[in-house]
Amino acid sequence: MKLIGLTVFVIFILTGCSKSVEPDSSIVKVIDGCGNSDINIIDIKGLKKADGFMQAQVIGENSSNSYQVLEYRVVWLDKDGFKIESILSKWNRVPAYENQPFHINAISPSTRAKTFRLYIKRDKEVICDKQYNGQ
Amino acid sequence: MRQTIQWTIILGITGFLLSGCATKTTNIDMNNDRGEAVMGLDYRDFQGAAQDMIKSLISSGAVSKKDGSRYVLAVSRVVNDTMQHIDTDQLVKKIRVGLLRSGKVVVTTAVGAKGAEDKMAMKTRKELRGNEEFDQKTVAGKGRMIAPDLSLSGKILQRNIRVDSSTQRVEYYFQMSLTDIKTGLAFWEDERVIGKRGSNKSVAW
Repeated sequence: MKLIGLTVFVIFILTGCSKSVEPDSSIVKVIDGCGNSDINIIDIKGLKKADGFMQAQVIGENSSNSYQVLEYRVVWLDKDGFKIESILSKWNRVPAYENQPFHINAISPSTRAKTFRLYIKRDKEVICDKQYNGQ
Repeated sequence: MRQTIQWTIILGITGFLLSGCATKTTNIDMNNDRGEAVMGLDYRDFQGAAQDMIKSLISSGAVSKKDGSRYVLAVSRVVNDTMQHIDTDQLVKKIRVGLLRSGKVVVTTAVGAKGAEDKMAMKTRKELRGNEEFDQKTVAGKGRMIAPDLSLSGKILQRNIRVDSSTQRVEYYFQMSLTDIKTGLAFWEDERVIGKRGSNKSVAW
């Protein structure tokens, strides 16, 4: 009886000891269309400013009844379609309040940018992947 | 006797298994780090702050010259007013790289708040000029260095607030200014605040 109790105690200690140092990197799920979830993209536009930088504005809507923190990143591409390396293409956060629109404003890292590609994710799941081609 | 043996075996197994619990060292995926937040400042905070500052600087138009040429930027002092040992270059370097890549700014390493950042540029000029061992056509002549137009300065502040007996809040303020050297006017200024809430036992320095 004592032995069973001790075994249970040891297992209990050991389970408390398991520590995930690196989170599980599950495969990212991509959904096309940006309208299949409670996060919808309403408008996406790009503008070449007078100083040569490109400005992007994306308007989305959180149609759920809960506040969400979304992560987004904008990948900027030059005229040949090559990615422009920049810290500005790292994941960033945007608040999406319940049943309200949210705005993402981005600026190109250099004047070479011609188009951009937007990715939005919630946790590990990419819920939107949209490209603006200047049209 | 039998009980003693039982205890010895149990404790032996427990010890063996617990030793396997030691945290394993792994490389962090810097592009998708889902690790727990820390009370102190980590690379994600500096990256976020730098991202926001570069975005704000470029959007403001303060680094875009009307004639399309590039501004020369000198990096002034960025004060670390936190309780942590921070090399402010963790922030400043990212901003410099971002601005340089924008094609609108070039950074001078010949002028800085504490003298030239790259001592060699100044030293070689002085030591090689007039030195017969060197072809004087290849030595930088007088009056060739470009003076800076803009100066980047800033401050990182920390405030610790006790929420209750077990919780504390730590606020970090990243403040930056871009000054036009000729006029002394600040062309651009911005601030980013990072707040963290955690245990009182966590030390934020």
